[in-house]
Amino acid sequence: GVTLRPDVYGDRGLQIYYNVSDNKTWESLVTTLRTFLTAYTPAAQRMNINCTSDTYFIQDTFDGPNKTKLSCKFTSDMLQNCSGITDPTFGFPEGKPCFIIKMNRIIKFFPGNGTAPRVDCTYVVTNEASFLLYNQGDESRPLEVDYYPVNGTFNLHYFPYYGKKAQPSYSNPLVAVKFLNITRNVELKIVCKIIGAGITFDNVHDPYEGKVEFKLKIED
Amino acid sequence: EDHKLSTSELEEKYGTSINKGLSSARAAEILARDGPNSLTPPKATPEIVKFLKQMVGGFSILLWIGAVFSWISFAIQLAQGAESPFDNLYLGVVLALVVILTGIFAYYQEAKSTNIMASFSKMIPQQALVIRDAEKKELPADQLVVGDIVEIKGGDRIPADIRLISTQGCKVDNSSLTGESEPQSRSCDFTHENPLETRNIAFYSTTCVEGTATGMVINTGDRTVIGRIASLASGVGNEKTPIAIEIEHFVYLVAGVAISIGVLFFIISVSMRYKILDSIIFLIGIIVANVPEGLLATVTVSLSLTAKRMAKKNCLVKNLEAVETLGSTSIICSDKTGTLTQNRMTVAHLWFDNQIYSADTSEDQTTQPFDQSSPSWTALSKIVTLCNRAEFRPGQENLPIMKRVVVGDASETALLKFAEVILGDVMNIRARNKKVAEIPFNSTNKFQLSIHETDDPNDKRFLLVMKGAPERILEKCSTIMINGKEEPLDSEKAAAFQTAYMELGGMGERVLGFCHLYLPENEFPDTYPFDTDSMNFPTSNLCFVGLLSMIDPPRSTVPDAVSKCRSAGIKVIMVTGDHPITAKAIAKSVGIISATSETVEDIAKRLNIPVEQVNRREATAAVVNGMELKDMSLQQLDEILCNHSEIVFARTSPQQKLIIVEGCQRQGAVVAVTGDGVNDSPALKKADIGIAMGIAGSDAAKNAADMVLLDDNFASIVTGVEEGRLIFDNLKKTIAYTLTKNIAELCPFLIYIIASIPMPIGTITILFIDLGTDVIPSVALAYEKAESDIMNRRPRNKRKDRLVNEQLAVYSYLQIGIMQSVGAFVTYFTVYAEQGFLPSTLLGVRVDWENNAINDFEDSYGQEWTKYQRMYLQWTGYTAFFVSITIQQVADLIIRKTRRNSIFQQGLFRNKVIWVGIFSQIGIALILTYGLGHVTALNFMPLRFQYWFVAVPFAILIWVYDEVRKLFIRRYPGSWWDKNMYY
Repeated sequence: GVTLRPDVYGDRGLQIYYNVSDNKTWESLVTTLRTFLTAYTPAAQRMNINCTSDTYFIQDTFDGPNKTKLSCKFTSDMLQNCSGITDPTFGFPEGKPCFIIKMNRIIKFFPGNGTAPRVDCTYVVTNEASFLLYNQGDESRPLEVDYYPVNGTFNLHYFPYYGKKAQPSYSNPLVAVKFLNITRNVELKIVCKIIGAGITFDNVHDPYEGKVEFKLKIED
Repeated sequence: EDHKLSTSELEEKYGTSINKGLSSARAAEILARDGPNSLTPPKATPEIVKFLKQMVGGFSILLWIGAVFSWISFAIQLAQGAESPFDNLYLGVVLALVVILTGIFAYYQEAKSTNIMASFSKMIPQQALVIRDAEKKELPADQLVVGDIVEIKGGDRIPADIRLISTQGCKVDNSSLTGESEPQSRSCDFTHENPLETRNIAFYSTTCVEGTATGMVINTGDRTVIGRIASLASGVGNEKTPIAIEIEHFVYLVAGVAISIGVLFFIISVSMRYKILDSIIFLIGIIVANVPEGLLATVTVSLSLTAKRMAKKNCLVKNLEAVETLGSTSIICSDKTGTLTQNRMTVAHLWFDNQIYSADTSEDQTTQPFDQSSPSWTALSKIVTLCNRAEFRPGQENLPIMKRVVVGDASETALLKFAEVILGDVMNIRARNKKVAEIPFNSTNKFQLSIHETDDPNDKRFLLVMKGAPERILEKCSTIMINGKEEPLDSEKAAAFQTAYMELGGMGERVLGFCHLYLPENEFPDTYPFDTDSMNFPTSNLCFVGLLSMIDPPRSTVPDAVSKCRSAGIKVIMVTGDHPITAKAIAKSVGIISATSETVEDIAKRLNIPVEQVNRREATAAVVNGMELKDMSLQQLDEILCNHSEIVFARTSPQQKLIIVEGCQRQGAVVAVTGDGVNDSPALKKADIGIAMGIAGSDAAKNAADMVLLDDNFASIVTGVEEGRLIFDNLKKTIAYTLTKNIAELCPFLIYIIASIPMPIGTITILFIDLGTDVIPSVALAYEKAESDIMNRRPRNKRKDRLVNEQLAVYSYLQIGIMQSVGAFVTYFTVYAEQGFLPSTLLGVRVDWENNAINDFEDSYGQEWTKYQRMYLQWTGYTAFFVSITIQQVADLIIRKTRRNSIFQQGLFRNKVIWVGIFSQIGIALILTYGLGHVTALNFMPLRFQYWFVAVPFAILIWVYDEVRKLFIRRYPGSWWDKNMYY
């Protein structure tokens, strides 16, 4: 499963609507992100080790304290522009908001078959959306996204997960996406997929398997 | 009244003329006034109303409520734009389908039972020959009006009630009306006060057998005698059958439980701040879990299986529910002729050489065991053979003698067969002893005589043989044959004759005397012209040879059947039109009156005191004459029915049968009545179970009856009773089986509401148990054999021995049901735990669990689940819960085979159908789980193989627990355990 922060659900799934000029409409979104990232402060991550290898972090023995396994550090600064450190408003007032993508923990899951899985966000091509875009005259303009960490990858050293008891301080790796060219006053449907071997996003029953879809509307 | 009037008075009364008939105009007027000459069919309930009744009967209302609620919540959810509102739409549709399908099934079953009026209308004659406007006309019989003059001839059906004006040798068959099988002669004479008895009236729908007659129509349509009986029969309301009452009781019970638990938890869930919509959905779930949707259809199937089995044993059941009624019968009012007896005269006793001999009266006699060495017997047998006009119909040489068809009256037939059995080839003997003269029997002479040449070539004498009423025959004799010697008939020998005659007559037998005379050769040479008119031969001073007595003997299976009834606590009452003495004799010989019991009259005779002084309570038996019955008050009748255990009603009219039946019903008895005539139909309808005779019965009787006895044999009723009792026991087992799992279906909802765990089982899954896996096993219990001799216990008490009693409900719901629920929950928690959710994490988790916005729901391992993954797990849980109920229902099925005996006493493999049930159960579960696991709407998931076995220990526990229960019941009869644990 893939989830998104901030997570505001409407009747039909994630709906993130706000007005750039009305800070009440986006402050709660920013707070959500900030709260979410408190688990990724250096203090919160101090139990975890720094990992540098770009391969799976396979542990057959319990090397951590109290017979646990080690977990790799993931700190919010790795999200750079979307870390909330440089820009505490996560780009919301500018209409270039940051969103954080998280993959659900699954025990002994090796995503990507040796290649780090990465996030890829696009418009959902539905008639409604393209119609609206067309009316705005920028139908062919692709979604411009900045991914943090670079390339929007989940580093392999965060995998596999060995479970709550084995890795008590484990925290999910994150990918932040910053949308740069969102048309104002239009409801846009965006999907962020995780691209990687062994990760499917075409389960018709489960909209959150391997992808997360949401509606975004920025007014001014 | 019309039978008393003279023809001219009749002409005046009806404004008609015997010669000219009515005028067409007048006839049309009367037709307009009286309506057509046909029976009004009863107000039939329209088919659609019957169908709709099935749609709302039983549990249907509850299910409709469930369906409507489902649709309402669907509509609300749809309007709110919720994500998956279609679940509720499906559920509503499924519930509606369940009601409609079971309704159609029940309607189909009911439609098969026939309408009583159908056969009455079939009996209506088609055409009638009428004199109108002084001309003879063929008219449709329904155009007849009062005052019409009609002509009938042999073979016609009488078109209306007719007062006869002129007749030529007219005989009618009134059997469809009165039950008398002998054709009755009809004349123009007023012979009896009672219009039914008088000879000058012929009745609508009876048949004219021979001769011709002209008569005036005096009643048409519903005003005819048969029309009145028909309206009487349809006027007698159809009582609810005992099993219908039991099922109603059961439905109320279950519906009561369903509604009260449903409402209770609706209130609880609302006060626990569940949304109203959610609360309604819980309510639906609780209703569906509580209602055994498949049960009523199962009961119907079980009853029809028994009905089929009974049909094989010659009991054809028309009304399915009557199957069980027969089992709860406590009084059988049986006809005598044909039902208890063989319906044919048979020689029962002989008296010759001053001694009474008994003859074999069984159905398939081939020899006669009595001493045939005496020369007197030789002489007697000759008379029996020769003085007889009855003959076998040709071409029956290969049939057993007793089965051959004979042309001749009942007594002669009996004598012919008797002679044929002993002597062989009677026709040949008759040919060798050529008949030279004959005087047939007539009612003034009361004897029959014939004169024969002898087959002894050296003996040129003629032999005169005579038979007739014994006292008449004796009058004509001066000698009596003793051991082949003629001895003078002195007063001592005459007294011996009287004693024998009285004794045989006292046994209710029809006695005939036989005598002969060898005519002296010198007076009656070869060429002597015998003249039967002038009687130029001696008819006195003959030699008396012996007596033969005949009776319609009881069927050989009947005494056994009666004693079975006795040990089964069923009172058998004989109701017959016969003479009290005959009736009593037959009653004694079949055991309806047991050997040791006495009637008031017997006691009076023994103690030599007047009848009035006898203490009536001492007499266990009673023979009640129809004439006495007529003058009795209801209280007196009740007293007789109450105080005497052995009762015979003799000389009763068929109308009195109804009174007797009502009397028995006032005692709280479940009454079975046998009957064959049209006029028995009110009694047949009134009875709790009317039994018509298949062979002798009229169509109307068969229609009024609930059951038709194909072989007319009383013993078949008893086998029917046995089947009926068995099905009651087996239905108890079926219901106990079905109710058990209701708790396992209900608990999930209750715990879901209270403990807020993920839903353990879905409503649709429950329907798959109730209407899928459980159906064949519950029918299979109908094939279970009886645990003990069910014919050794009293009939069930309508008020006390309920189909579903407290013990059954408590044991099924609160003991086995709870065990089953525990087993199912263990499976549920096992599945969740293995998937990552420890039981403790599930408590109170419902709101987050069902929240669409939470897609990283953390389990006990730290893994995260999307909403769909949780739903998938929830459905796997449904499937696991379903599977474990199914597995435990296998154990439940096995324990329900018996209620008291150990399964090992009953035999695990004797009832093969149970195994069909078990395999069907598991098979259906496998198909649902693995075959239909991908149909989203059904919520079944392919289950890991090991989860099938989680509930097995609980299944074993159920079996062991029940064996222990039964063991204690057998060990300690009458104990607290027995009273509370036996259902």
